[in-house]
Order: sequence, then C-alpha cells, then structure tokens
Amino acid sequence: MTSHDLLILCAAGMLVSGYLIVGQKRLFTTIRLFALQSLLLGIVAATIAVTQSRHELFVTAGITIAMKSILIPWFLMRLIDRIGIHREIEPFLNVPVSLLVCLGLTVVGYRVSTGFPEAVGGARHHLIGVALSMLLIGMFLMVTRKKAITQILALLTVENAVFLVAVGVTPGMPLVVELGIAFDVIVAVLVLGIMVQRIVDRFDSMDVSRLSQLKG
Amino acid sequence: MTPVLSDALRAFGLAALQAVFLLAMAPLLKTLIKMMKARLQNRQGPPLLQGYYDLAKLLRKETVRSETASWVFVAGPRVYFAAAVSATTLVPVLISAAPLEAAGGVLLLVGTLALGRFALATAALDTGSPFGGMGSSRDMTIAALAEPALMLGLFTSGLAAGTLNLGALARSALQHGVTFHPSDVLAFAGLFIIVLAETGRVPVDNPATHLELTMIHEAMLLEYSGPDLALVEWASAVKELLYLTLLVDLFMPVGMATSAEPVALLMALVAWAGKVFVLAIAVTITESMNAKLRLFRVPELVSISLGLAFLALTIRFL
Repeated sequence: MTSHDLLILCAAGMLVSGYLIVGQKRLFTTIRLFALQSLLLGIVAATIAVTQSRHELFVTAGITIAMKSILIPWFLMRLIDRIGIHREIEPFLNVPVSLLVCLGLTVVGYRVSTGFPEAVGGARHHLIGVALSMLLIGMFLMVTRKKAITQILALLTVENAVFLVAVGVTPGMPLVVELGIAFDVIVAVLVLGIMVQRIVDRFDSMDVSRLSQLKG
Repeated sequence: MTPVLSDALRAFGLAALQAVFLLAMAPLLKTLIKMMKARLQNRQGPPLLQGYYDLAKLLRKETVRSETASWVFVAGPRVYFAAAVSATTLVPVLISAAPLEAAGGVLLLVGTLALGRFALATAALDTGSPFGGMGSSRDMTIAALAEPALMLGLFTSGLAAGTLNLGALARSALQHGVTFHPSDVLAFAGLFIIVLAETGRVPVDNPATHLELTMIHEAMLLEYSGPDLALVEWASAVKELLYLTLLVDLFMPVGMATSAEPVALLMALVAWAGKVFVLAIAVTITESMNAKLRLFRVPELVSISLGLAFLALTIRFL
C-alpha cells in the first residue's frame, strides 16, 4: 500500500464516518464516529508530512488527534452524561430521506471538485471531492437536526472538511493561524457546551427548535 | 475425450473440491465467532470443534415433521442447502478463478442465494405455525432491501474491472495491483453491513436467542429437527463463510494463487484464512459492541448501506 492509497483510504473513511453520523440516532455513537473521523484526518496530515517532508504538518496532526479525536469527544460525552439525553429522537427529516439528500450532496461535491485546477489526477481529486461533500453534509446536518449536540458535531464536521482541503491541497497555513483555529474550535465547543446546558436547564430538552417559542 | 468435455469435467471436479472445502470450514468459522464473542464477555465459550459436534448430533437424530406439512416443508432445507453449495462454486477462494465461472458471475450468485432464501421462507410458511410465517415475512422484508444494496456493491467492483465475473474480477485486481479508489471504501462499508444483515448478525438479528419477539432466521427453523435442521444450520454457516470470502475477493485479493502449484496454494490458504479471520474479528466486535436494533429500525440500517453502495457506484463515474 502506497502513501497515495493510504490518503485515499483515510479520506474515504472520513466520508463514510460522515455518512454514519447522518444515519445514527445515538449521540454517543455519533461522537465516537466524529472522533474516528478526526483521527483519520490526523493520519492524512501525518502521511502528507512524511511523504512531502513538510514537518510542520506533524504539529497539525498532533493537534488534530489530541483535540478533535480525544479532548472534544471526551468533553461532549461528559456533557451528554450529565444531561442524560442520549438520542436524537426526531430530526426534521427522517434517516432514509437524510441519507438520500446526502447522496445527492456528495455527488454535487464530487462533480464540483473536478472543476478545480488543483483537482487533476490522483489523490488530490478525491481529497477535494471528499472535503466538499463533507462540507455540504455538515451544513445539511446542521439545519436538519434539532439536538444542539448534533449541531455542534455538524459544525465540527464542516471544520474537518475545511482542514482536509487545507492540509491536503494547499501549501498549508502558518503555524500561528493553525494554533489560532485550533483554540477557536475548542473555545467554540466549550461555549456551545455551556449553551447546551443552559438550553437543557431552561427547556428540559436539547431541542433547539423550542428556542423559537416565546415563553411568558 | 474431447477437450471441451475434459475441461468441463475438470471444472466440475474443482467445483466439488471447493464445495467440500468450504463445507468443511464453515462450522469452524461459526464456532470461532461464537468463541471470540464469549471471550469478549469473559466467558469460556465453546471448544473450536463444537460446530462439528452439533452437526453430527443433529444428523444422528430422527426427523419429526408436523402432520400438516407438505412436500414444500421437506424440500425447503434441501433446496437451501443445495443453493448454498452451488453458490460456493461461483466464488474464487484460493485460486483466482471460480470453478464454475463459465456458468455466470455476480448475478447468478445473488440469484442462487435468493433461490435458497425463497425455498426456506416458503417452507417456514408451510406448516402454518405463526412463528414460521413471522420469520419468513421478516426475512423477506430485510432481503428485499439488502439484495439491491448487495448488487450495487458488487457492481461497483465490477465497474472497476469491466466484468461481472467474480473470477475475472479477482484476476484483474491481482494483475493491475490493488488501486485504491474512494468508492472501494464506500462499497466495502456498505457490503459489510449487508453481510451482517444477510447472515443474521447482531444489529439485525441475534443468532444466540430464540426470543419470539425478535427472532428472524431462527423463527423459520423452529419446526425443523434432526437432519433437516442440520442441513439448514450447515447451509447458513456456509453462506456466512461465502459472504466473508466474497468481501476478501473483492477488496483484498492480495495473496491469491494464480496457478495450481502446491506452494502457491499453501500460501493462498494461509492468506485466505488470515483475511477471513480478520473479518471474523470485525464481525465479532460489531456484534459485541452493538445492541440489536428494533425490527422497524432495521430498514434504516440497510438503507445506510444501500446509500453507501449507490454512492460508491456513482463516484466511479465522477
């Protein structure tokens, strides 16, 4: 197996885990799947670091794995444990329909990716295709799910997609920017976590659609 | 003897050998998964040969049939067994050629397995026992969803190689080396779920219980006893081994023998056993980590795999 194959394997694995997140209702499993997705992203970064000898990417890989596949999932699981809500009961769209929509989104993402001049040939085409598809799936997940936790995961999926392009296709970001983004993400998750707890305290539910109701 | 005739004879000889080989290995796989599952739960588990003991025991017992049962009930297990055995001859196992690949490829394989399923489902309906009917209805519901996904997954690999013949598929993968494409990963994920569904593994069905409310495959076998039951159990085990071998053939054919030399065959045997073992571990872990889904949630799971398989097929064109 060459590094090229490993890249494609990991990227496709990220897409598959994105799909399974859409198809899952148990929040613990979705969080684990997100952790897996981030781990695969870390492996992509490490592989590129080795093959193109861009050693600064090792830092990216390390940050990604430490934060997104260990720290954030741990935090979210603790949050769920404390709140005691374990399932996405009724999303706005049911699972088979969501999957169908995601299918269409992936096709769109892949089709669009062929238009990029960077996307000619080999792994890059697939990296851009997978990233665009995940971006669309993440956005779709954000608007169709009611639970605040799933929306956080959707945001993080979008983040992963952007990172995949940044790492795999562009010459890379300066380390300062990367650290900034990393801390941004973790602060965002913390703030959102606190928000979720507030929502639950107030409404006894994680359902964000209740936020639109006026309460006297 | 004309060359055509001798070729045909050799193909049938090889087919018989391969069928016997898979029939002999199948109970071992079943017990192996049972044992690994038990170990994960801190239990001792059955000895590795338990599958053979069970079959031997069942074959020695007498057959008890319901008075209302017709010939359909008698034919069911036999057709099911025959279908499973003939399906084994269509899949390359150790050599990168299926013994009877001239007869047909992917479509024939899926059709043969469907014939067996149909025979068992009608036989379960035949006695008029409510459980049998329930089991067949459930099995057919799942099969109707799983079969298209299985076909799409197989077509994805076929599209890459330009053939639907399983032997030719494996040969082209060996010749060109395994070139990775994201659709392979998607198709593998889809097919793995299908294998779980088709072999009655945990998220879909629980092979370890006879609970009335949940059982699917077991509900169809309730009326069977003795050698009839042994046939069905054996055929199910063969089907499971066959599905795992199919996954191995399609997605990781490395190590398969290209000629019938003894050394190459031995290497292929080791490689095949290793790969099937890895898949068996994956099945065991999925089975141990997940709870059985409610019956009405199963279509959701299968639709995930249908989606993955369809996507895999689409991405090939982009």
